[in-house]
Amino acid sequence: MPSASSSSAAAVWAILRKECRSEWRTRYGLNAALLFAIATLTAVSFAVGRLGDRPDLLAALLWIVLLFASLAALAHTFVREVEGHTLTLLRLTASPTSIALGKLLFNLLFLAVIELVAVPLDLVLLGGPPLHWGRFLAVLALGSVALAGTATLVGAIIAQTRGRGALFAAVSLPVLLPVLAGAVSGTRAQWSGAPVGAELRLLAAYGAAMLGLSLVLYDHLWEE
Amino acid sequence: MLLRMLLFAWIAAALIAGFLWAPLVPVLGDTTRVFYFHFPAALLTCVAFGWSTLHSVLYLARRDLAHDAQAAGAAELGLLFCVVATLSGSLWAKAMWGSYWNWDPRETSIFFLMLIYGAYLALRSAVDGEARRARLAAIYSCVAFVAVPFLIFVVPRLYFSLHPEPVLNARGKPDIDPRILLVAAAMFAGETALFAWMLALRVRVARLARAREGA
Repeated sequence: MPSASSSSAAAVWAILRKECRSEWRTRYGLNAALLFAIATLTAVSFAVGRLGDRPDLLAALLWIVLLFASLAALAHTFVREVEGHTLTLLRLTASPTSIALGKLLFNLLFLAVIELVAVPLDLVLLGGPPLHWGRFLAVLALGSVALAGTATLVGAIIAQTRGRGALFAAVSLPVLLPVLAGAVSGTRAQWSGAPVGAELRLLAAYGAAMLGLSLVLYDHLWEE
Repeated sequence: MLLRMLLFAWIAAALIAGFLWAPLVPVLGDTTRVFYFHFPAALLTCVAFGWSTLHSVLYLARRDLAHDAQAAGAAELGLLFCVVATLSGSLWAKAMWGSYWNWDPRETSIFFLMLIYGAYLALRSAVDGEARRARLAAIYSCVAFVAVPFLIFVVPRLYFSLHPEPVLNARGKPDIDPRILLVAAAMFAGETALFAWMLALRVRVARLARAREGA
């Protein structure tokens, strides 16, 4: 049964809808991430004031807030299945690849919602508008894809361990560092009017590598 | 036993040669000798982590727990050599550049390696059941293997580099005294043998522990 619909677009779409629906029922992850982002931005804003003339700090703070606000929630998609004992049932109805892709798309959507709130707030509270909207949004989009791809894969690994929450940050941050470095560097370059081609290539290559790796590795993730 | 004595004599001889026979690099002075610890350890770190990744992939392909023991042992030993390379490099940096840590590209990449393999070992310690532990660790190892080239080759390019690499490692033809290279190569060979021996011990211990649990 799974092989017939495996990795088909319909299965991915069904997983994405299921994820959205179950998130919308509680809005637990979304509320937590949004509140975290707003609270952190407020704290940073009180602590340092406006940073309009310091694009280096502005870029770093923006990405650190985004990273930590979304990190816990990005792992949550798989942890929820394990804690609710629904993973086995899910696997009976869809192939690992379509589960992975569906959850990745959900995480991307989730990240986009967080950014829709956190990024304008960050720009308003801390600095001015970006110098080049096109470059800024391109770095933001590619950075989000790389971030979601990596965090989804590591989240799937972490869901099967003891002490998932504490471990997730420790295990995912080392492999998220290239994303953070590229995104911060690109956002900063855009503010000083420099080209961001190198950073965009880095983020795109990393996102593509993680996506390809996910497709190969998800078959090995659940075997019991 | 004989092999171990030979290994001990080999490394001792290489060290003595480093102090008495090989010349000092003018700018570096006495600190030239840090090279004999720093460079082989850094190279061996890469060998060990590469070996660990190779066996992780082999485990995913063949599902033999012997590969997992190799991967875990190589990661532990690689972390050990990584610490040696980092500490010796940090001391050398203090002597030559006046600061223990500068986030120069090489320092950054070896620090990332330490973080990644620290996370790998933390992950291993948090999984119940050896087959599942082996599988999840092997998968994480593959993820890390994809991240490492970015961390080592791509990310440092984005930040400006202040490494004095040309002093010791000019591209193509090294403008370094061949005696220094010979001692460093001898140290590397000795440390590689040390690594292989320690890894064999780790793998044997893992096999015996598994046999005892099974019995």
